[in-house]
Amino acid sequence: MTTETIDISRHYISEEPFYLPMEKELELFDAAYRNRIPVLLKGPTGCGKTRFMMHVAWKYRRPLVTVACHDDLTASDLVGRYLMKGGQTVWVDGPLTAAVRAGGFCYLDEVVEARKDTTVVIHPLADDRRLLPVEKRGELLKAPPDFVLAISYNPGYQSVLKDLKQSTRQRFLALEFTYPPRELETEIVMHESGTDEETARTLVLFAEKTRNLKDRGLLEGASTRLLVHAAKLIRSGIDPAQAIGAAVAEPLTDEHEMLAALREILQSVL
Amino acid sequence: MSASPRQHERELRAELSRNLALFFFESAEVASILAELDSLGRESRPKALALCVFLSNISGNIVPKVVRLLKGAAGVLSDQELRRWILEAFDLLDAKGLEPAVRFLSANDEASLRAWSAPRGLEFDDVSATLETYIRGISGRDFAVKPTEDTCYTDTAGIFLPRKMALFTRRDKNFLAYKLMATHAWAQIELETFAPVRRNGESKDIEEYFGQFEERELAIDVFNILEALRVESFLGENLPGLLRAAREVKEKVLVALPEQDGRTARSAFVRKLRRQYLAGRLAEPTLLCYRQSPARDLEALEALYERAMALPGPYSPLAGASFPVAIKPGRVALCLKARQKESRERLTAFIEKVLEMPDFVMQMKRRAREKKAQEKRPEPGRKYLLLKGALFELDPEMEELLRHNGGIPGAVLVDGSELGGGESVMDLRSLVEEEAEAPEVARPARGGIPYDEWDYRRGAYRKGWCTLYEHDVHPVREPFVEKTLRKYGGYITVLRNRFEMLRAETRILKRQKDGEGIDIDAAVEALADARAGLSPSENVFTKLVREERNIAVLFLLDMSGSTKGWINESEKEALVLMSEALESLGDRYAIYGFSGITRNRADFYRVKSFGESYGEEVKRRIAGIEPKDYTRMGPALRHATRILRAVEARTKLLITLSDGKPEDYDAYKGAYGIEDTRRSLIEAKQQGIHSFCITIDREAHEYLPHMYGEVNYTYIDDVRKLPGKMTDIYTRLTT
Repeated sequence: MTTETIDISRHYISEEPFYLPMEKELELFDAAYRNRIPVLLKGPTGCGKTRFMMHVAWKYRRPLVTVACHDDLTASDLVGRYLMKGGQTVWVDGPLTAAVRAGGFCYLDEVVEARKDTTVVIHPLADDRRLLPVEKRGELLKAPPDFVLAISYNPGYQSVLKDLKQSTRQRFLALEFTYPPRELETEIVMHESGTDEETARTLVLFAEKTRNLKDRGLLEGASTRLLVHAAKLIRSGIDPAQAIGAAVAEPLTDEHEMLAALREILQSVL
Repeated sequence: MSASPRQHERELRAELSRNLALFFFESAEVASILAELDSLGRESRPKALALCVFLSNISGNIVPKVVRLLKGAAGVLSDQELRRWILEAFDLLDAKGLEPAVRFLSANDEASLRAWSAPRGLEFDDVSATLETYIRGISGRDFAVKPTEDTCYTDTAGIFLPRKMALFTRRDKNFLAYKLMATHAWAQIELETFAPVRRNGESKDIEEYFGQFEERELAIDVFNILEALRVESFLGENLPGLLRAAREVKEKVLVALPEQDGRTARSAFVRKLRRQYLAGRLAEPTLLCYRQSPARDLEALEALYERAMALPGPYSPLAGASFPVAIKPGRVALCLKARQKESRERLTAFIEKVLEMPDFVMQMKRRAREKKAQEKRPEPGRKYLLLKGALFELDPEMEELLRHNGGIPGAVLVDGSELGGGESVMDLRSLVEEEAEAPEVARPARGGIPYDEWDYRRGAYRKGWCTLYEHDVHPVREPFVEKTLRKYGGYITVLRNRFEMLRAETRILKRQKDGEGIDIDAAVEALADARAGLSPSENVFTKLVREERNIAVLFLLDMSGSTKGWINESEKEALVLMSEALESLGDRYAIYGFSGITRNRADFYRVKSFGESYGEEVKRRIAGIEPKDYTRMGPALRHATRILRAVEARTKLLITLSDGKPEDYDAYKGAYGIEDTRRSLIEAKQQGIHSFCITIDREAHEYLPHMYGEVNYTYIDDVRKLPGKMTDIYTRLTT
């Protein structure tokens, strides 16, 4: 029986990902890292949670293994499984196990999307034991000091069926992310898209107005990510109104009336 | 199944050709008629075809003439207008017959068509929802956007817009005008146009300020122009696109102004200012300076006012333009006064309560208080309320209100310096609140269920404090459900389909004995086991199964007096739609209502229990739901929790529909009511019940996040949207 593991060397981030700190999140993460406390990143979609993880992984020179969680994600998908290879069974580490072995950062993105029984496997890893039981191999992995478990969660999604269990959430240190303040967000959009300041400012202004409509017909306002998309379209020569319409307004809602209002706001802002 | 538009057009063409052939048209003639129809725009073509088919059934000979008329009109009208024009001809055909319809179509010279298309304008009702969302988006605040017969203005609480906008012929341009006006009105609020005017240490409200001018209207009109300039410089920063678009509206307004404007020199002066503003060419030095740096001082206004007053002749107020939006100091003052009145009434109720207190209760309270906290002594600089021989301390808000109220019989306002040092002072607000909650002799409750209530100040429960009574809603024989079903006809089908789809959620089960796919993990394990000499498991299949939705939901409906009218109607409609949709989904659900008056009578009304089916009786009960008394939410939520606890379900959901915050006749209001409600929700959560609130209260954002948690509530700005929204929310909550 042999063991194969994912090539962790590919998960190092070589170039510094652009990240502008909003508050004290880098210091908090640093303290969590030193004290070996797992972190929960809370916040609306597209506000910089994943980018934050990339940034800290780069900063601490650790590999970052990201898992986008979904409905059918099983414990085996995370921990690993046996595969057949040339008439032999081969054990393959899952992303979580690989990250634990390498002392890397494992980031479970949108963890509420995963099945509840799946999230339970991270429990012993997320408390002071820092253990990952690999049941099928009868192995008990002790996480090295460098290992960080991070999960993300969007409290804006309202579904009683997809809430994070207390027993899960109470193992983590929570960092709350929101949309950056106007100046910072403008800078981010400029940097990420290479657009000019005026365009970036207009985009941010429009995004702020859409965020005013959260719970007034929109589930969420426009994320920074959407603004970057729009800015990129504008840079490639698309008319600004069309670019923002397609990249920001349309993804937010399908409701006719709301789209009409968003279009009107856009025209006023542009 | 309905045909595609293209298919439909093909059919119409075929029918027209057939009919024309019956009237002995040559095929070349038919082809030329069809070609002419083809040259019409995409919007109007199908209607034109339909009209010709209709006419060809009566007489084919009329068709070529009508096609010529349509072609003529197409040269003047836009494609959409042409469509509307044909529809109107259709209406005439239906209502009055062939002759009037043809006469209508024959009036297709440019002047007639312009006259036909011009005065329609845009109705406020058609765009009010979009405008409200728009204003909410740009401002981040909630304003009611309402129609008025007057010109556009704001009273600081609402934005009033004309019922119809017919400045332009085009719909989008008229909408632009609406949008511009609404934004200007909002900007006035944002820029504090109506803030009290402070001069020489004196503060005057805007109504008082303008009352000082001899020519009040002149001062307001000049102020309006200055404010419009200030608003524009604000828009330039925040909504540059709108500011650019505004030019077109202003030009249109300018063109529409009467030529003979302002008979006297004084009037002409102000009109000239307005023309300058509308044309965007400021020649007047004061305006020019003001635009470059608009300051919130009134020097510019007063300087211009003086210049105008030096000119001869009386002043006639500006009229004949809907822009800039009007400034109505009177309306603003009225609105502010109404707000003050509300606060004052609250205070008066406070004081009346103290006055009604029996003397011995007062004495007891006083003694208890004196003992408790070595009472405060009156301070010389402050005012106190002397009431029934006791001194009460007033907080600044109450003092202000009392001063405006001009005294209350039985109570005197005295200065602290006039009082001897011997008196002790009591806090009026806390005393009244305490009194309202003082334990009464518990009335024997027949059949009532006692519930605890949370007192946040004590940090403890009041044991068995409330008594709840269960009733059935009185069923009425009104066709309410049928009416709702008719009203929402097509929507219900859509809704049912959507809910059906929720039910059809599937899930892959792994490690099954049989199934349609192979579970690779299990298969590999089985192989490994076999090789290792162990007996392999047979459970190596995956199976697709329909997900079991094990959900029980209880809808709790606010039946307090404040829901009277259309809120109640919408709540009931929402229940009907929910029930119809849930029937197709198969989730278990129950409907209850609550109301009540004081802690001794919390009423809980059964509309549909979990075991009951959605039958005639339940429908009659829904029809019978009507507003009752107050909103004591705590006991109702606790009772609903008890009911849900008894239901077997994996997910339990408690959805409350309310129009406001918890409030009862007694002290169950403000923080007390909110905290008790919050507590009852925490209790529900501890029992594994998820709570969610749908509210129609504009101020909900102030307290609902605290009560329900940041994400467990939603606010609906328009009760008309409730029936539609509720199903959305339910879907979102349970998928």
